[in-house]
Amino acid sequence: MDKRIVITGVGVISPIGCGKEIFWDALISGKSGVSEVKSFDTSIFKVHRGCEVKGFKYEDYVSNGSNRKIGKGSQFAIAATKLALDDSQIYTKDIDPESVGVSIGTTAGEIQILEKVNLLRFENGEDKIDPHLFLSHPCINIPSNISIEFGFKGPTTIIPTACAAGNYAIGYACDLIRLGRANIMLAGGSDPFSKVAYVGFGRLNAIAPEICQPFDKNRKGMLIGEGAGMLVLESLEDALARNANIYAEILGYGLSCDGYHITIPHPDGNGVVSAMEKALRDANIKPGDVQHISAHGTGTVANDKAETISIKKVFGEHAKRLAISSIKSMIGHTMGAASAIEAIACALAIKEGIVPPTINFETQDPECDLDFVPNVKREMEINIALNNAYAFGGNNSCLVLKKFSG
Amino acid sequence: MSIRLVITGMSILSPLGLNKDEFWHNLTNGNSGIKDVTLFDVSRYKSKKAGEISNFDAKEYLGKKGIRHIDRTSLLASSAAKLVMEDAKITHEIYGEEDLGIVIGSTYGSIDSISSFDLEALKEGPSFVNPMDFPNTVLNAPASRASIFCKATGLNSTISTGVTSGLDAIIYASDFLKLKRVKAVLAGGVHGLTPDIFWGAYKSGILSGSKNGSLEISAPFDKRRNGFILGETAALLVIERLEDALKRDAKIYAEIKGYGNTFNPKKINHDLLDTEEGARCISVAMKDAKLKSNDISYISACANSSETGDIMETRVIEEYFGDFAKQAPISAIKSMSGECLDASGAMQCVASIMAINNGVIPPTINYQEKDENCDLDFVPNKSRELEVNNVLINAFSDTGNISSIIISKYSNE
Repeated sequence: MDKRIVITGVGVISPIGCGKEIFWDALISGKSGVSEVKSFDTSIFKVHRGCEVKGFKYEDYVSNGSNRKIGKGSQFAIAATKLALDDSQIYTKDIDPESVGVSIGTTAGEIQILEKVNLLRFENGEDKIDPHLFLSHPCINIPSNISIEFGFKGPTTIIPTACAAGNYAIGYACDLIRLGRANIMLAGGSDPFSKVAYVGFGRLNAIAPEICQPFDKNRKGMLIGEGAGMLVLESLEDALARNANIYAEILGYGLSCDGYHITIPHPDGNGVVSAMEKALRDANIKPGDVQHISAHGTGTVANDKAETISIKKVFGEHAKRLAISSIKSMIGHTMGAASAIEAIACALAIKEGIVPPTINFETQDPECDLDFVPNVKREMEINIALNNAYAFGGNNSCLVLKKFSG
Repeated sequence: MSIRLVITGMSILSPLGLNKDEFWHNLTNGNSGIKDVTLFDVSRYKSKKAGEISNFDAKEYLGKKGIRHIDRTSLLASSAAKLVMEDAKITHEIYGEEDLGIVIGSTYGSIDSISSFDLEALKEGPSFVNPMDFPNTVLNAPASRASIFCKATGLNSTISTGVTSGLDAIIYASDFLKLKRVKAVLAGGVHGLTPDIFWGAYKSGILSGSKNGSLEISAPFDKRRNGFILGETAALLVIERLEDALKRDAKIYAEIKGYGNTFNPKKINHDLLDTEEGARCISVAMKDAKLKSNDISYISACANSSETGDIMETRVIEEYFGDFAKQAPISAIKSMSGECLDASGAMQCVASIMAINNGVIPPTINYQEKDENCDLDFVPNKSRELEVNNVLINAFSDTGNISSIIISKYSNE
């Protein structure tokens, strides 16, 4: 018999607030997380705005926070893990650490450490750089630091499939529970604000100068964000046995690959269509069963158009009836963390019966003619939600979440 | 409901050769692939050597078009992917694009590309970087490039767990196949040598020869060892379910019998000799494979000539196997290839499968002086003829990740 997987805890560190209550209130009231970038000097850039996490203090989450030198990606992820564990009411002293694993998605891992090394190198040459700083950069440090912090001894892994990574990590975590290789998984994504991404997307003219306007006719691009989202996943059986609060069930997921171009999405959205179709098949549901899609919706001209085409291809007539929103309009594109934070938004939307809006939506684009829940949240019953995420390299993913109903 | 997974293809681009037969010939003859670095300038370092792949020309595998802006790690991954499809005799008539997946272990190979892009922006300004170099900065680039060259689109993923990532990619692919999501997966690891990783490892003092007057040698388990020598490799397997392999009449090299992952959270306290989680990882894999200690014919060690790592692995083997530890032949092929990081685990798998098919165990070379702390049978310096039925392959990351896989001779019972 197949194990059913449920979400029993969530933790968010985001540009619109940390912790699920603050995050959710901001999300449904349409708060924007955009501000002038403070992580580095943007004066020589053409654009200056981004979605950074404000007022984050690692010590607020971990008592021995200052004892270990770890990067911001690890700090975000550990803080989000702490929030998720507290939320799930799982206490590390009560569980068998051998049966708990960690699965993380990221785009660039501890990129700020590498950027610091490069800046030192550029300014003073490489001789005085502490090599341990360099070695604490590879992204494996993020899940390892989580397992070290909480004493977990189960599978500890990281999947860096760029902007779709969060979904990949959550999907694999579900598989590890299904296969009996772990009982509890801490799964999600983390990415600190990346100058490399800012330079790269800036050079591709993909960064919006002011605001992020997914699916709007006059959308001007994405906004780089940062943050972490972590979910506690366990089997339904275990969750019921300990009388846990269940946010939603993860019914299945779909992954696909364009195999087309390293940065340009397939013009017909083939890979994206395939990811959604596989997810529906994996979840054993029909397109008509879905009420809500948390879109990848980056706010770039190409992405939003291709995503609209793909949704229409998969859902046909039903596409018009879907409530589709892009929370990137509020939190920006948090890279590898994006689909993990969006999965949390889906879980909360299902639980609360409210779809968060797509803010900054002013003008309907004839090429994006679906219902994007413009500017104002919508109260509605959601039985099934899809969480879309696509990435550089043509790595596409789609997660299916369902209201838990016994 | 037990699903059997088999290996039906292998490819390797390594300092020991550009195909599996050459690799095997050098391995079993104890030939080292370690030589002076030519890919970049190492004149300011005391360490000068690496397991560099000689004569690798990506054009031979991928054609001339569109490869100019692709970094070495991605070129190696894509080339190995092409080769492994051929070795497994998989065409798109047999398996469609959507039936095929690629999972690659890669953590370190892309870092140099990220730094180069970042430094370019610092030197020239953000408006003057070459946008063609940006895609190399994503860690999933090697697997994604490979999917474009091979038209394998059913699954594409990357695992970045450092030295365990080659095995972890194979494990991830196996999990995916058990859940019947695709028909066949190209899985393994890749690491292309870059000046950044060489610099970081050298400055940290973990490379052999980096200390004054020390010998620069890859001598796992030998008393003279003083650090590792870096290497580069791309190694991939084709894994599929037994029923599918039989249906298409594929050549079956070996079977994946079991595997496990554990994590050692004590690593951070620099308890480098802690063995509990290492032994538990072997035990998880052995239970998965339903094998007893004395079923293991050969252990392919992760040992890379580091002072503490080799002792830790010796003790892990002793802790799990008890008395049998002394009887099990163990070898460290990194004595010949160097530490190939993300590719190491997959390279060990290729060597182990060759050992199963040829009845020969490759040696640990450069073994001269016994270390009392490492007192097991390391198949010193000369290969050994022996029937090989079940191989245990271990990998340990310096971040605390531990992986074990058991690969066995295929029999149709």
